[in-house]
Amino acid sequence: MKLIYSELKKFLPDLNVKPQQLRDDLTMIGHFTNYFEEIDGEIVFDLDIKVNRGDCLGYYGLAKDLAVLYDIPLKNLSVETHHDASLTTLPITVTTDKVKRIMALKISDLKNSTSPNWLQKFIKLHGTKPINTLVDLTNYIMYLYGIPVHAFDTAKSTDNLIWEINSHFDKFTTLDGTKFSLNKNILMVNNSQKALSLSFWGGEACAIENTTTDTIIEIAVYDRATVRQNSRWLKATTEAGIRLEKDLDPDLIPEALNHLVKLILENCGGQINSQLFDYYPQKVQLPQIELNLDKPSQVSGINIPKDFIIDCLTKLGCTFLTNIQHPASNILITPPTTRKDITQMEDLVEEVVRFWGYNKIPTNQPLAKKDVADITPPENYLIDQLKDKLVQLGYDEVLTWPLVTESINPKTVIKTQNSINSEAIYLRQSLIPSLQQQLDQYSRYKLTNCQFFEIGKVFSKEGDKYIEKNSLCISSYQNWKLMDDVEKIFNKKFSIFNSEKYLNQLFVEIILDDLPKPEKYIPQTTVNTAYELTSQIITLDANITLDKQEEPETLINKYSDIIGNQYLWEIVITDIYHDTKTDKFRYTFRVSYFNTDDKTAKELHLKSFGLK
Amino acid sequence: MDQNLEKIKLEYLSKINSVKTATELESLRIEISGRNGKINQLFSEIKNVPPENRKQFGADLNQLKTELEKKLLSKSKNVSKEKIRNSTLDIRNSTFSLKKVGHLHPITQTERQLNEVFRKLGFSVYSSPEIVTDEFNFERLNVPQDHPARDMQDSIYIKEPEYLLRTQTSTIESYLLAQKAKELPIRAAFAGATFRNEKVNRSNHFVFHQYQAVVVDKNITMKDLIGTMDLMFKTLYGDDVVVRYRCKYYPEVEPGVGPDMQCFNCHGKGCPLCKYAGWIEMGGSGMIHPKVLQAAGIDPNIWSGFAFGMGLDRWTMAQKNIKDIRTLMGGNLAYKPNEK
Repeated sequence: MKLIYSELKKFLPDLNVKPQQLRDDLTMIGHFTNYFEEIDGEIVFDLDIKVNRGDCLGYYGLAKDLAVLYDIPLKNLSVETHHDASLTTLPITVTTDKVKRIMALKISDLKNSTSPNWLQKFIKLHGTKPINTLVDLTNYIMYLYGIPVHAFDTAKSTDNLIWEINSHFDKFTTLDGTKFSLNKNILMVNNSQKALSLSFWGGEACAIENTTTDTIIEIAVYDRATVRQNSRWLKATTEAGIRLEKDLDPDLIPEALNHLVKLILENCGGQINSQLFDYYPQKVQLPQIELNLDKPSQVSGINIPKDFIIDCLTKLGCTFLTNIQHPASNILITPPTTRKDITQMEDLVEEVVRFWGYNKIPTNQPLAKKDVADITPPENYLIDQLKDKLVQLGYDEVLTWPLVTESINPKTVIKTQNSINSEAIYLRQSLIPSLQQQLDQYSRYKLTNCQFFEIGKVFSKEGDKYIEKNSLCISSYQNWKLMDDVEKIFNKKFSIFNSEKYLNQLFVEIILDDLPKPEKYIPQTTVNTAYELTSQIITLDANITLDKQEEPETLINKYSDIIGNQYLWEIVITDIYHDTKTDKFRYTFRVSYFNTDDKTAKELHLKSFGLK
Repeated sequence: MDQNLEKIKLEYLSKINSVKTATELESLRIEISGRNGKINQLFSEIKNVPPENRKQFGADLNQLKTELEKKLLSKSKNVSKEKIRNSTLDIRNSTFSLKKVGHLHPITQTERQLNEVFRKLGFSVYSSPEIVTDEFNFERLNVPQDHPARDMQDSIYIKEPEYLLRTQTSTIESYLLAQKAKELPIRAAFAGATFRNEKVNRSNHFVFHQYQAVVVDKNITMKDLIGTMDLMFKTLYGDDVVVRYRCKYYPEVEPGVGPDMQCFNCHGKGCPLCKYAGWIEMGGSGMIHPKVLQAAGIDPNIWSGFAFGMGLDRWTMAQKNIKDIRTLMGGNLAYKPNEK
């Protein structure tokens, strides 16, 4: 969500902190602020609002939090609208229980046109395209209060609006021309002739234009689950939908509507031409929460004074149902209507602690050591033990995708229903195909002499039961070593699998579940370097002739140091030849370079062996 | 076995048997398994074998290779050892390299580093299934149907709506609390693969790893949580690491705590890596929600606890300077053969 500093100051005239401080403070109290930037002379913040704080999808909700944090007054920008009881009543019908509250009003004889500059700028900074004054004002109010607003051109819609679960219209076109087939029961605003609006997206059929002179403006709060379900069915996301899917406060509607009416009359002229329509069948029932005043200190682990707790909750708009002049240890509280996220004592505790400051909790006092029962499953010990043994024997550990492209046994394979990756839809039944794919990738990078292993789950289905087993798969190019190592580790032989594709590479797969497990095993904590290959390994040979025979290991170390670590992958002596006629020794080196290009590798190679 | 291969096998087994010294054996090893040896020569001839016989021929050849190499190995233990430098042997074809070293996957390394921290504090290392029920993945974690938090986790279903692949390691917490509710206090840590319906790109994967730690005891506080997390950060990233702990929402905890680490790339100034925030979100945590405890049959008036989870992939990438999450489960993650 975007937040313009100057607009926020309209609610908080005494706000006087630097943008960077505001960014950090907003984040610390739970409104993660990615960054701020200056655009068109305005400081604009970019925030991620928590899913349980629908009230903060508008400036007003954020301003309320900041007023508490900085202990500054919150200004009410709304002005009570005068309603004339002699005006006509709007003929609006509501036939569904998915509507929590609707307030609507008709304004006539207005002059709509292109928005004034300040409004266009505001709308653009929120990533929306300005349309005209009336439409832009509805969006402005939505951004300020976090509650979506809609305006109907009554010349097209008539005044006879019906809120209903649609059952008779099969097509709908949105304000921007997007067409939907309405094959589900969608919450809509219709009239008897036309589908007019979704709950979260206005329709083309009653769109406000520059020529509009009469409008019904309405602000509504719906059953959020219904809106969420509708937007999912239609695969449509709108700013209005994002807000209506949250728990919004029906009691905030009058304030938002009054503000909107004031702005319309100021910017478009016109006059109120109906009585206020207010459909509010079931008023919000506020919870009564008992708070133990010691609880914030008990939960946070630091002392939070009771005076601060009372003061903080008062500023948040909580109502105290017990005497707070001489509070007992437990007090009874009703949270403000805007705060749908506060339903129990722990929520109040979080409020107190976040305004007291998470940063006041010490960071240097970890949990004290305590001997509690070891509940480590024995198979975890076995897995750790096997990994250590295999690494000691020179095998590298890899991890592969548990979702794979092909099944081995179609009768027992488990298939996912909605994997976004349409190729990887099966849960693997064996690790061998996955390790073969690993070899495919190694081949692409020209990595040779691979010996590696994976320990992971394999899956199958027996009737309605889903079976998961821990499996170990080892692969090596050294047949005898693989067999010898496996026998060494498990004291028994296992079947070896020959790959059709990699004839010179063998695999062995062992299900671990039925093997004996160690009673306890504490693994080694080793740190080794893993490399992200960005290009193929480049392998080059070099011959050097020496007057006397040298230890191969000494030579390998010597030339490793000369070449340096940055590009050297591996160095091997592949041949040593003693020329008895000259009594000289010729050593053939095979050097592999990584993450570099051919030219650089060749230059480094020639230079390192003195061949340039 | 192919008749020709059988013949070769018998011939070489006989030769290995008659060898007397290490130098003779090394000569024979090179003749059989050397770079230009018999085995590699036979492998290079596979392309000439008719396609329908190729698989069988490959299997036979592997068997031949295995048997001869095993025989060479066992023979090497019985012949006298001589150092090459003292021999007059023509050492053509001898291959020398430093000892091949094995490596743990970076994810395992990070997991073990974290496990070590927690073991010292008395934690067990727990685990649970990857195919889970909606009840354990959502309901018991205070995420009922139609809760907006479900949008944060686009699930991969096995059988909608009941069975799915776990979307978070908090699911392991649900199993843990259910299974050990009568064995309190609990201290457990666990790592695991988690699954969400995300498109695979540099930053996101539909399979990723999380690490989580859970404590249920009497009088557990946010101070315990933050102090323990800070210890973990310092263990992994050193004493100079800068971490802030802020208010964050997760349905399974209340109050919620979000640890952010100062960006290691820009040191807080803001850069593309941290999306100009100067901080990197490192996971989520908080005091276990009373509804989560109640769902497991644990009385929240007696017991309290904390839980925190983090993206193990991102932690590992930050530690190992790996830029692309796909690398962690792909063939471009590799280890130098001789480097520990």
